[in-house]
Amino acid sequence: MTNENRKKRKLTIAKAMSEALAQEMRRDKNVFVMGEDVGALGGVFGTTQGLLDEFGKNRVRDTPISETAFIGAAVGAATMGMRPVVELMFVDFFGVCMDAIYNLAAKNAYFSGGHQPAPMVLMTSVGGGYSDAGQHSQCLYGTFAHLPGMKVVIPSNAYDAKGLMVSAIRDNNPVIFMFHKNLQGMGWLGTVKGSIVDVPEDSYTVPLGKAEIVREGEDVTLVGLGATVHQALDAAGELEKDGVSAEVIDLRSLVPLDRETVLNSVKKTGRLVVVDDDYQSYGVSGEIIATVVEQGVDFIKAAPKRVAYPDVPVPFSRPMEQHCLPNASKIRAAAQACF
Amino acid sequence: MSEIKIDEDLWDEDTEGVITAWLFDDGDSVSAGDVVAEVMVEKIQHEVEAPAGGTLSIKVAAEEAVNKGDVIGELS
Repeated sequence: MTNENRKKRKLTIAKAMSEALAQEMRRDKNVFVMGEDVGALGGVFGTTQGLLDEFGKNRVRDTPISETAFIGAAVGAATMGMRPVVELMFVDFFGVCMDAIYNLAAKNAYFSGGHQPAPMVLMTSVGGGYSDAGQHSQCLYGTFAHLPGMKVVIPSNAYDAKGLMVSAIRDNNPVIFMFHKNLQGMGWLGTVKGSIVDVPEDSYTVPLGKAEIVREGEDVTLVGLGATVHQALDAAGELEKDGVSAEVIDLRSLVPLDRETVLNSVKKTGRLVVVDDDYQSYGVSGEIIATVVEQGVDFIKAAPKRVAYPDVPVPFSRPMEQHCLPNASKIRAAAQACF
Repeated sequence: MSEIKIDEDLWDEDTEGVITAWLFDDGDSVSAGDVVAEVMVEKIQHEVEAPAGGTLSIKVAAEEAVNKGDVIGELS
């Protein structure tokens, strides 16, 4: 997609998202950004760096703490033909704006027979691990992916973040773009080095709804998303020492969900561990396992396992929170239990 | 050889920061003006640019604390 001789250049996910936004704003005057501290600060999670200087206050709108109002306004703008990108600073705050997201944005294309879709992107931070307690640490993947009418994506690295954001902005459906705080490249949230990768400067897209096999293996399939992809990769490295060859799949997109890639992998390996830092029950891990076992169980060599967040509010206490979170050693143990 | 030094006026406060990311690897070739590292102070990110082109040698690793005036890398 870009010339082979270009210079290597690593970006954080924060920078990659900012670059995607800037390039799309240059390309399409209907794209604009709204949210809390998206202007001069460049986003609390660095998602809108440099945008105010280049595009000015009309297209980079700082809002008060008023999610009901500004996310409602974004839905209105989208149905009238604009392409707003709004930031819900923490996904945990979805409650006060869920009517606009789910009863308005997600359903309008259907209600209008396709005449009035809501092409907006709602970008929102997810995940904990840095002691920010129960109202600032949730993932809520399953909550959003459960509801039809919206696409839901989450990048695990800067390359995917840029390409998924470009696809999300150009998509005519509302897209919930979740970014994990641990991967953002902002120091105070913990920085996972594997998320900072080489990113082409030219614009490109990563399709919504296509998972990626990030490590090939033969004996067990580890499925993750966002931060848990990196934990699964760490576990795969450990498992190799145990003589177990683990395949790691990065879902990248929950809606649409690339069931085929998961299924083909488990047909090959016969074993499945799903890793999810969202609550265990009624969520991503159950959906992935159901996807596989409803195709039959003759190719499955061991009962599928999940390493997910227990069904409790996220504790503030660091030892208690770390106890609840998935990690590489839990994944390794779950994989070993499949043999 | 040029030093990659944290400018005395990169941030206002008299506090230490932390290198959150190196955007190039040790041994990579970089150009003058490339953002080579990011430093966080009080939850605000600051960019460190290469003062000249050359081959990067990292002297202070990511996640290490730094102060204004520190040399964090070299270009040769």
